[in-house]
Amino acid sequence: MEGHPLLEKYTEHPGLWDEMFGDGDIRSHYQNFVSAIENLPAEEITRKDEQAKKLFMTQGVTFTVYSSGEGIEKIFPFDVVPRIITAIEWMHIEDGIKQRLKALNIFLKDIYHQQFIIKDGIMPAKLIYSCPNFLREMVNVDVPFDIYTHISGVDLIRDHDGQFYVLEDNLRTPSGVSYMLENRSITYRIFPDLIPKNNVRPVKDYPDRLLKNLLSLSNSQTSNPVVVLLTPGMFNSAYFEHTALAKLMGIELVEGRDLVVENHFVFMKTTKGLQKVDVIYRRVDDEFIDPLVFRPDSMLGVPGIYWAYRKGNVSIVNAMGNGVADDKAVYSYVPDMIRYYLNEEPILKNVPTYQMADPEKRKMVFENMNKMVVKKTNESGGYGMLIGNSATEKEMKDFKKAIEEDPRSFIAQPIINLSSSPCYIDGELQPRRVDLRPYALYGPAGVEIVPGGLTRVALREGSLVVNSSQGGGSKDTWVLGS
Amino acid sequence: MLSRVAESIFWMARYMERTNRMLRMLHTKYISSQDEVTDFSWNSVLQTYSDKGAEHNQLIETNSPRVLAHLIIDKENDFSVINNITRARENARSVQDHITKEVWLCLNEYYHLIREKQIEDNLLSGDPITSLDQLIRHGMLYNGTVDITMAREESFNFLNIGRFLSRAIISIDLLTIKLKEYNYDLAKHADDPTWRFLLYSLSGYELYLKRNKGRIDANLVIQHVLYNPEFPHSLQYSLNRLTRYFDRLKTESNFENHSQLEFLIGRCSNNIKYSNFSNNSITLKDFLKQTRKELVEISSSFNKIYFGIT
Repeated sequence: MEGHPLLEKYTEHPGLWDEMFGDGDIRSHYQNFVSAIENLPAEEITRKDEQAKKLFMTQGVTFTVYSSGEGIEKIFPFDVVPRIITAIEWMHIEDGIKQRLKALNIFLKDIYHQQFIIKDGIMPAKLIYSCPNFLREMVNVDVPFDIYTHISGVDLIRDHDGQFYVLEDNLRTPSGVSYMLENRSITYRIFPDLIPKNNVRPVKDYPDRLLKNLLSLSNSQTSNPVVVLLTPGMFNSAYFEHTALAKLMGIELVEGRDLVVENHFVFMKTTKGLQKVDVIYRRVDDEFIDPLVFRPDSMLGVPGIYWAYRKGNVSIVNAMGNGVADDKAVYSYVPDMIRYYLNEEPILKNVPTYQMADPEKRKMVFENMNKMVVKKTNESGGYGMLIGNSATEKEMKDFKKAIEEDPRSFIAQPIINLSSSPCYIDGELQPRRVDLRPYALYGPAGVEIVPGGLTRVALREGSLVVNSSQGGGSKDTWVLGS
Repeated sequence: MLSRVAESIFWMARYMERTNRMLRMLHTKYISSQDEVTDFSWNSVLQTYSDKGAEHNQLIETNSPRVLAHLIIDKENDFSVINNITRARENARSVQDHITKEVWLCLNEYYHLIREKQIEDNLLSGDPITSLDQLIRHGMLYNGTVDITMAREESFNFLNIGRFLSRAIISIDLLTIKLKEYNYDLAKHADDPTWRFLLYSLSGYELYLKRNKGRIDANLVIQHVLYNPEFPHSLQYSLNRLTRYFDRLKTESNFENHSQLEFLIGRCSNNIKYSNFSNNSITLKDFLKQTRKELVEISSSFNKIYFGIT
C-alpha cells in the first residue's frame, strides 16, 4: 500500500479473504474510514487505543475473574479498527439468518410435539434421543406463540472466496450483545464524527426491541406485566451484560434467590411482600434453572419454576430445551430442515460436517486429521476442540481414542480459513482472523436483526479461535446503510 | 423493590459512610501525630479498625506509614478502607439498575483509584496527606453524586437509612476512642486541646468554635457531638434523619413491619434526646454502649423485617 504510512507494512495472507483489502487495494467500503485515519501519526492511534482501554475500565465494562478470593477486573480486549459490512452483504446475511431461524424454530416445535421430521426419515431418531440437551420435560409443552428461539446469536465465518458460512447457531443464552452496544459507544468517543460520515446503521435500539418482544409474551390479561432478567449472579463472567441489559430495558435484575414459586405462580420477594412475575428473560442454563426437575444441587435457579412455566403462568425466554437445535451434530441437518419445513434452498451455507458416529466418515476424517477441526458436540467457548494443522501427534492420538469410545459426542469439519481483518497491534496494522455474531430477535411479529453484531477477533497471530476465554477480542461492527 | 436490592443499597451506603469517616479520622490523626513531641501511639485506632490483634498492633503502633497502609490499603485487614470500598462497589454492582449510572461509575472509579500505585507510594514513603486528600475528595464526590442524581424514591430512602445509621454508630465509636485515650477521666482532660481532633475527625470543628466562642471544654464537645441538631455528624442529627427517611418508607411498606421498626427507632431517638451528661464519664460510657447496642438492633431488625434474612 504505497503512500499510506500506516498501511505500508500490512501483509495480506495469500489464500485468505481480507475484510479491508482485495486485489491489492482497499475495498471501496473501507475507503472512507482509511482516508480518515491514514494520515494520523502512529502515536495518535496508540493514544486512541489506550483511551479505549481506559474507557472500558472506567465505564465498568469489565468481567471479573475470581481467583484467590478477590475478583480481578478484566476488559474484553477491543480493537479500534472497525469491521465494515456493506449493505448488500448485510441483506444476504439477514435473509439467511431469518430463514434459518424460522426453520430451527419449527424444528423445535416439531421435535417436542409430533416429530414429523423423524417420522419422514429426514433425521435419525437416534441422533435426537442421544442428544443430552434434548429435554424430555419439554415434550408436549406449548410455549407462547410457538416461539422457542427468542434471542439467538448465529456465528458466521467467511471462507477464502468471501462466502459466508454458518459455524454455529447459538439458541440457548447467547452472550456478547452488550459488547456490540458498548463497542459502538467507545467508537463514538475515539473517532468523533466518523460514524455519521460513514452512514453506519445504528444498533442502539436493540434493548427496546427486546423489551417489546418480552412484554408481548406475557399473558394478555395482564395490563402491566412484570418482566425480569434472571442472572446467575455476579460471579458469572457475563454479569456486566446482565446488569447492562436490565438497566437499558428498565427491568428488574433478579437472582434465583429473589424468586419463589407459590401455587405454580412465580413471585419476587420485595420489601413490600411478594410480587407476581410474568416474563423471565433468563440467563441461567436449562440444567440449573429448577433443582426439582433438573440438577438438584443447583442454587442458581428457582424450585418449581418448571411447573409454573409448563402451566403457562410465566413465560421464559429463551424456551427450555433449545439445546437440541444448536447441538453440533444436529447442526449438519439444518440445511435439510430448511428444505423440509420451508421448501426453500438454504441462503447461508453450512460448513461441511462429518458425524463421527458414521464409521465411513470417521475413517475418512482419521486419514485426513491434519486438515480437520474436530469438536465435541456438547462444548462451547472454544473448549474440547482440536485443530488438525496445529495439533501434536499425541493430541491427535488422544482425540482418536476419545472419538472411538464415544463417537456421538464428536463431529469433524474441514478447516475453514476465517477471513482476516486489520487490527492495531504493537503500533501497526496486522491481519487477524475474525468471525461475526449478529443477534436476532424472534417475536410474535417475526424475526428482527439489529444491523450489526459482535465481530470477534483471534488476537494471537495465526490463531483461529476467537472465543474470549481463549485470547479473543472484539471489534465494533459497522453495517453500512444503502 | 426487591429485598435483596434494598439490602445491597443499604450496605453500600453503610460501607461508604465508614470509608469517608475513617479517612477523615486518619487524616486528622496523622496530622496530629506529626505535631506530637513524644510517644505518639496509634493503638486506640488500631484496636477499633484492625482485625490483627494486640500483638500485631504493638509491633506497628508507632510507625505511622505502616499503620496508614494497614488501615487503608491492606486487603488482609478486614476493616480496611480498601475492603470497605470494594464491598460498597460489590453491593453497587449487583444493584446497578437501582442506583444511577453516575453513582456506579463514581464507586467504580473510587475502587480503581485506591488501587493506584501512587496512593500506596505516598502512604508508605511519600506524603500520606496527598493520598488521604485524594481519597477524601473522591468520597465527597460520591456523596454529591448521590445527592444530585438519585431519584427520591425507595432506593434513596434505604440508602439514607444505611448512611445515617452508620453515621450514628461511627460518631459513637470515634467519641469512644477519644474517651479511651483519656481513660474516661473527663475531669483531668476537661480543657485538653486534643479534643479538637475529635471535632476535626467529625468535620465539626468550625461549627463548634462558632457556637462556643473558641473555648475547648470536654463537656461542650460531648454536648456538641451528642445533641447539636445543626451538626450533621451529631448523634441526634443522625437519628432525626434516620427517622425521617424511615418515615418515607411507610407508604411502600407493610404496615405491621413498619410499626415494629418505627418503635425501635423512636425509642433509640428519644433515649438520646432525653439523656443528659455533665462530666459524668461512667454513665456516659454506659450510655454510649447502650445506644450502640440499640443501633445494632435496628440494623438487624432491618435484616429480618425488610431484607428477609432470618
